[in-house]
Amino acid sequence: MIAVLGLVIGVMVGLVVRPVVPSGVEPYLPIAVVAALDAVFGGLRAMLDGIFDDKVFVVSFLSNVVVAALIVFLGDKLGVGSQLSTGVVVVLGIRIFSNAAAIRRHVFRA
Amino acid sequence: MNDEPDDEMNGQPDDGPDDGTRGAEPPMTGRRRLVAGLWPPRLSRAQLTVAVLLFGLGLGLAIQVRSTSDNSGALRGARQEDLVRILTELDNRGQRLQDEKRGLETQRSDLETSSDQAAEALKQTRQKAQELGVLAGTVPAEGPGITLTITDPHGGVEADSLLDTLQELRAAGAEAIQINGIRVVADTYFTEGTDGVQIDGHKVSQPYAFKVIGNPQDLEPALNIPGGVVQTLEKEQATADVVRSQRIVVDALRSSKQPDYARSSQ
Repeated sequence: MIAVLGLVIGVMVGLVVRPVVPSGVEPYLPIAVVAALDAVFGGLRAMLDGIFDDKVFVVSFLSNVVVAALIVFLGDKLGVGSQLSTGVVVVLGIRIFSNAAAIRRHVFRA
Repeated sequence: MNDEPDDEMNGQPDDGPDDGTRGAEPPMTGRRRLVAGLWPPRLSRAQLTVAVLLFGLGLGLAIQVRSTSDNSGALRGARQEDLVRILTELDNRGQRLQDEKRGLETQRSDLETSSDQAAEALKQTRQKAQELGVLAGTVPAEGPGITLTITDPHGGVEADSLLDTLQELRAAGAEAIQINGIRVVADTYFTEGTDGVQIDGHKVSQPYAFKVIGNPQDLEPALNIPGGVVQTLEKEQATADVVRSQRIVVDALRSSKQPDYARSSQ
């Protein structure tokens, strides 16, 4: 419950306060968000499976974000930034879908 | 990028109950765990850390959504090379538009100059045509002048008397003249027909009404001087009546003739 509240408060703060993101970080924000979403879905599934561990969740969340941003940064440096970020989004999307399928099986038993 | 579920993928049954592997108390399904995690709210370390991370996620999500849906920020997330390309395109486009603007401005000033000149020339030509038209009798004229009415009950007035009168008026500065509806111009002629006077081949009958445009202060004395037109006519037992007027309208017209042989030498 506290976790859901954290998400809601984060969205509200982001909408109300309109924080200014440093321009250097801006290109990585969308990828980081998608990676974090993947971690969250994974954590939700783990919780439903009963094997949720907050330490694992923190590490996976942060590493997801950092690695995704790193890949995009590297891609930008190599001149294939847009293609590589597309690839990252595709991979993360597939993972989100599979996690969502597992969650669905738990919640709806179908 | 690995997180837990992938490690547990194998052998994971579709639904919750794990036949006692997770404790003896009533089978803990995923759904129940979810509900238990949501309610009642518990202030545990796990919940707090997850809340902090989710706060960060929500923040990033909101920022990204806002900057994407914001029109002015359409370029915010764009990459450097895209921005450079867009900037170059904008520069080229601006350059083209500048060139176009300069060309159009030149064209406009050309048109203005030439149309001014053409309009001025047209105006002068029109004015000239009006002046010449008054002389040639092709346009109506109006202005101050006199009306001279010659009544001749005894038929003593002949063509030469009318011609004398006309010459006197011209000498006094008459600019436009009509007699009984016939415009008098340079080549007007008077003839003595069997049944009266003819002007330019048109028979005119009494009384002879001269409408003359010119300076009334010159015209009237010119007619009335001793031994002048009026006295001569009175000797012929005709009466001449001179009336000054500030507005005389000479509206009898002549058609303009193209000369057959003479051409403008300019």
